[in-house]
Amino acid sequence: MSLKLNNLGRRIDGRWILRHLDLEIQNGECLALVGASGCGKSTTLRIIAGLDQADEGSITIDGTDVTSTAAVDRKVGMVFQSYALFPHLSVAANLELGLKVRGVAPSERQQRVRQVLQLVQLEERASQKPAQLSGGQRQRVALARALLRDPLVYLLDEPMSNLDAQLREELRPELRRLVLRDQKPVIYVTHDQHEAMAIADRIAVLKDGQIEQVANPIELYKHPASLYVAEFIGRPQINVLPPEQGVIKAIRPEALKLQAGGIACELLHREWLGASQIWQLDSRLGPLRMHVGSEQTVPESIQVSWAPEQEHRFNARSGKRLTA
Amino acid sequence: MKTLPVRRLLIVLLLSWSLGPLLWQLYTSFSTNEALITPFANIDHRWTLNHYKDVLTGNPPFWRYLINSLIVGTGSTILTLCIATPAAYAITRSRGTITNVAQTMLIVAALFPYVLLFLALLEVARSLHLGNHLLALTIPYAALSQPLAILLLSAAFRDLPIDLEDAARLEGLGLWSRLRWVLIPLIAPATASTAILVFLFAWNEYPIALTWLSDSSLLTLPVAMARIAGSSIYSVPYGAYAAATVLGSIPLIALVLIFQKSIVSGLTSGAVKG
Amino acid sequence: MLLLLVPAAVLLAVVFVAPMLHYVWLSAHANSVLTGLVPIPNQGANWLRLVSDQRFWQDAGQTLRFTVVSVSLEVLLALAIALLLDQRWRGRGVARALTLIPWALPTTVMALGWRWIFNTPYGPLNQTASLLGVAPLNILSNPSITWMATVLADVWKTTPFAALILLAGLQTIPTDLYEALRLEGASQRTCFLRITLPLLKPYIALALLFRLAQAFGVFDLVQVMTGGGPASSTESLALYAYINAMRFLDFGYSATVMIGSFILLLLLCLISWSFLIRLQRRTGRV
Repeated sequence: MSLKLNNLGRRIDGRWILRHLDLEIQNGECLALVGASGCGKSTTLRIIAGLDQADEGSITIDGTDVTSTAAVDRKVGMVFQSYALFPHLSVAANLELGLKVRGVAPSERQQRVRQVLQLVQLEERASQKPAQLSGGQRQRVALARALLRDPLVYLLDEPMSNLDAQLREELRPELRRLVLRDQKPVIYVTHDQHEAMAIADRIAVLKDGQIEQVANPIELYKHPASLYVAEFIGRPQINVLPPEQGVIKAIRPEALKLQAGGIACELLHREWLGASQIWQLDSRLGPLRMHVGSEQTVPESIQVSWAPEQEHRFNARSGKRLTA
Repeated sequence: MKTLPVRRLLIVLLLSWSLGPLLWQLYTSFSTNEALITPFANIDHRWTLNHYKDVLTGNPPFWRYLINSLIVGTGSTILTLCIATPAAYAITRSRGTITNVAQTMLIVAALFPYVLLFLALLEVARSLHLGNHLLALTIPYAALSQPLAILLLSAAFRDLPIDLEDAARLEGLGLWSRLRWVLIPLIAPATASTAILVFLFAWNEYPIALTWLSDSSLLTLPVAMARIAGSSIYSVPYGAYAAATVLGSIPLIALVLIFQKSIVSGLTSGAVKG
Repeated sequence: MLLLLVPAAVLLAVVFVAPMLHYVWLSAHANSVLTGLVPIPNQGANWLRLVSDQRFWQDAGQTLRFTVVSVSLEVLLALAIALLLDQRWRGRGVARALTLIPWALPTTVMALGWRWIFNTPYGPLNQTASLLGVAPLNILSNPSITWMATVLADVWKTTPFAALILLAGLQTIPTDLYEALRLEGASQRTCFLRITLPLLKPYIALALLFRLAQAFGVFDLVQVMTGGGPASSTESLALYAYINAMRFLDFGYSATVMIGSFILLLLLCLISWSFLIRLQRRTGRV
């Protein structure tokens, strides 16, 4: 039982903006789809929802081909970045509308709306209009609407990017708990690698409409399949050294060590993170970022090195990972 | 702020220019004929309500025309909206070329001096026996209002975030349900301003009503007023006419004052987006 | 989806397209009381008649004069009104509504009101004149000045519409543009010439074009206020077409007059459009 995308492709004005997309998401699994803006992640979501049509490939949900099923009949629960709550309807009416047109009896409608509002802790807001709610509350109403749909798949399109950082952190576990409650596949689109790492079981990194790598967060961090993935995942960003004989080496800022006899560096700037700090260095290999403990003092002369096994090596032309 | 007195003067000028002719009609409607002929002489019977009495007890009484215009205006507004709303939605949601072609044609039609159509429309009315039916007038009126109505409503549909309709679709709402529960309620302000503009057009329309209606109890207000004028070219009963003008203007003035915002936003969005 | 367009498309075709095609057909036929109201093809005789019809060309001249004078006055006045209504002052909303009233009233109603105002000798204008010792002016029976009275009535009635379009334009101009220029030490006059006018140009063009087409088709006002008189001096093309159909019952020729008017209007629009574009290019360079 799962959601399966087979060789999905989408072309606009003769240009493929999505191609050869193969993915399988199991029931109860949350997959994050990440990438820079315009990489095709929102298009993928819209195609799965039926709001956009694929030009090639197919989509199956629980073994049923839904490629040409209309959005109206596809049974997906989607949370939009803008929340897309109907501004003229109260919270309860927003939730009830779908049930009503699907022919659910009034008494059952009310009961289900009450239950879901309880679930997202908004019972006392039932009669208010979306405009009267805070961003976080609106986001929860949008989620409640998706839950009420009894969907076969959950699609979340940057559901938290309109919220401030603190709220995002608070809501994240809650969101994950709610969407995974009924053990359905969940696709979570975000441009924020940190959010993807925090919420997803697996992460698919998209670049220019193609998948660079699909793996769990640890794997992605430790063994990025390409330079693009290495740069995308992990903050502060990985250090990329100048290419040498067709090979690009990259080292995580966390892997750099102060060591006599290492590469001589000059300190440009210190960024305090609280528990740790980041040093912006300049060296003969170009600028380097180094992640160090907060109690570390700046030595007279900075010399850095790293263990060879911490080196990531990529083909300079293709950007693909080279296995040692 | 030494420009203020100048501005105040300009405001006074503007308002007297806009309202002066109307106020003169108001004055006339309450003046006896003697007072009108010799405004500066000192006479006893300066004020009268007789003009109003004449107008309201005429045959047919004046309120009849107001009701006729109300019927035509309301009918045309409803018919126009029923046809223009789905068309506006379809134009907004179709792809590039259709939208552009339709848009251009609608602007040309909106600019068209429709007076030139009266002869052909009259022939239609004659062959289908539509003359002297108040509600039949709503057909040409609805047609003539389509360009403006479609342009205004499609601008409103275009302004709605696409996510809202997508969300409704994912909730399982088909086209009709989406229009009924989500889209039409959301463009209500634009619908209101369109409705008022169409109503004003239908209420005020002259050449078609003039040629379609001959039964004197069915005349709309503009035709009835013109008929008073045409009945006696050399001596129009100005006092009674002024009373009729005042009575006929009150509903419109009320409409303008109440729905000022809708009218302005309708004309404005027509100008900004059209 | 396109099915939703069908009712509107049918209605528009029946009311706009079919009549024009019908006129083309009708203009190639004699169809009047003389033919017993039966259309008989007459090999372009209607068109020959139109070309040499003095009354048609006189009316065309009058319509053009009316259109050009009233539209230019309207746009200038509308610009002034829009500038006034765009400023912030107490009661602006009410004033805006009151300014709109002339536009909302039926043309025919106020057309007769104007006839009363211009009445000789009892109208307020002539009463005032006689109080000042000036001889009363036969405004509505003097062929050389009656048309100005119709222009005045038209300006009164339609300026609010143009003013509103220009007001909409003014409100799209961001205020920080003015602030930026004022910081450079520019005067109010410079601001108006360098910001307001150039940015308002599309709206002026829109108001101009809209009013041009409407004024060229003037009918209600003239028919009720002057009946086209005195001596046909205020007769518009639309009124001439109406008279041909309804008074002379010559439908074939009436249709010819209408197509003729339509062609003249198209020419007028094309000329003013190319003029506007040239103006745009010239001032665009600064």
